[in-house]
Amino acid sequence: MFLAVLTPSESSGVSLDAALARRLVQREVSAFEELYERHSRNVYGLVLRILQQASTAEEVVQDIFLQLWRNASQYDASRGSFLPWLLTLARNRALDHLRLKSEQQRRREDQAGELAPAIASPDFESGLDQKRCAARVRELMSALQPQQRRAIELAYFAGLSHSEIAEKLQEPLGTVKSWVRNGLLQLKEGLQAIA
Amino acid sequence: MSKEGAIRDPFRELVEAYALGSLDAEERVRLEAHLATGCVDCAKALGEALWLVSQLACLAPAAQPSAMLRGRLLKTVRGQAQQSDVQTSATTIPSWMWGAVAAVMLLALYNFREARSLRVTIRQTQAALNEQVAFQKKSAQELALARREALILTDPRSIKVVMPSTRTGLPDLHVSWHATLGILISGEKLPPPSGTRTLQLWLIPKVVGAKPVPSLTFRPDSDGKFQLLVENPPDAQLDTKALAITEEPEGGSPQPTTTPIWAGSVAGK
Repeated sequence: MFLAVLTPSESSGVSLDAALARRLVQREVSAFEELYERHSRNVYGLVLRILQQASTAEEVVQDIFLQLWRNASQYDASRGSFLPWLLTLARNRALDHLRLKSEQQRRREDQAGELAPAIASPDFESGLDQKRCAARVRELMSALQPQQRRAIELAYFAGLSHSEIAEKLQEPLGTVKSWVRNGLLQLKEGLQAIA
Repeated sequence: MSKEGAIRDPFRELVEAYALGSLDAEERVRLEAHLATGCVDCAKALGEALWLVSQLACLAPAAQPSAMLRGRLLKTVRGQAQQSDVQTSATTIPSWMWGAVAAVMLLALYNFREARSLRVTIRQTQAALNEQVAFQKKSAQELALARREALILTDPRSIKVVMPSTRTGLPDLHVSWHATLGILISGEKLPPPSGTRTLQLWLIPKVVGAKPVPSLTFRPDSDGKFQLLVENPPDAQLDTKALAITEEPEGGSPQPTTTPIWAGSVAGK
């Protein structure tokens, strides 16, 4: 599974994450510490890639893990694996920061305990080999046309909309929409093929 | 694919871009409105699309955050955990105290049952004691009565009166009258008075023309025996000429309503 590729964990990593998340709900500091050790590099790497500045990235990562500590009960292990959930949370926070959302708005979200939306692991996830999956994602993305890959990366790391991407790449809106959707479908089919 | 068919296909095509966050506002609002209708297929597709999008994170190289970040986070988390523990311990009863409460409640229950059992025992003992006292009192009374009767019978100062019956076939009654201890009358083989009627003793005064003085009523037992003790005779021995017994209505009469069945003269000593 790709998620485990992000960390040097074994196949039991998902269930271990779930167990740690349950302990986190019980306010066990040791569980928090272990989750941080397991995933902070991936979270920080993603946030840093989005924000492009170490100090700001660390500030956001701190917010993300504190939000995890305070709202761990919002993670539902039955609906998906822990790391995709955490990374989606991290990306949303980083993009929020990138969009210069007002501090007041972020506080409102903190108070509301807003976390990442429910992520459903696809049926083929359990059949994925971890390292092969990560390599396959990179491989599949590399196989895309440079502009198509660029469009997806702008959407994912910069949080741009179709219109913004079209404007930035000087391409028709319809083309950008097709690039993005087809690229994601190719990624999905490629991962299914190795499952 | 949406269950609503081709009409909903455009929504399904938007799901991946929505998960990526690249939909423009108009399309995003339309899809969110559709998702709000509870379309199960699109919701499932969205969940999988979110997972797929999350895989793109591997395109970002992992990086080590500073040790300071780790230190700050753990310090904050430990502080909040300790605060939570303090609040928890301050607002909840520790388990040992629940045990103590349970023990106290058990002890109270045990004491309550013991007290109730003790109260029952005391009541039973008190009842037995009362019964015993009553028995002793009754025995003492009977003893005193028997002693009194014995004295009346044996004291030479007592007057002996024989009361023959005015009716044929009825036995005589025997009377012993002690001036201070009372009158003792006894008899055997007497027929019971009819119905609820009763026998009543009368003292006939010596004074001419004076009315008979009513005394106690009695009925012989099932064997026809009786023994009547009149502890406080209504008239003095010296003032009494004779004794008579009549049959009267239940409860007795102030004056005789029938002729005497038994009668006997009191001869003073």
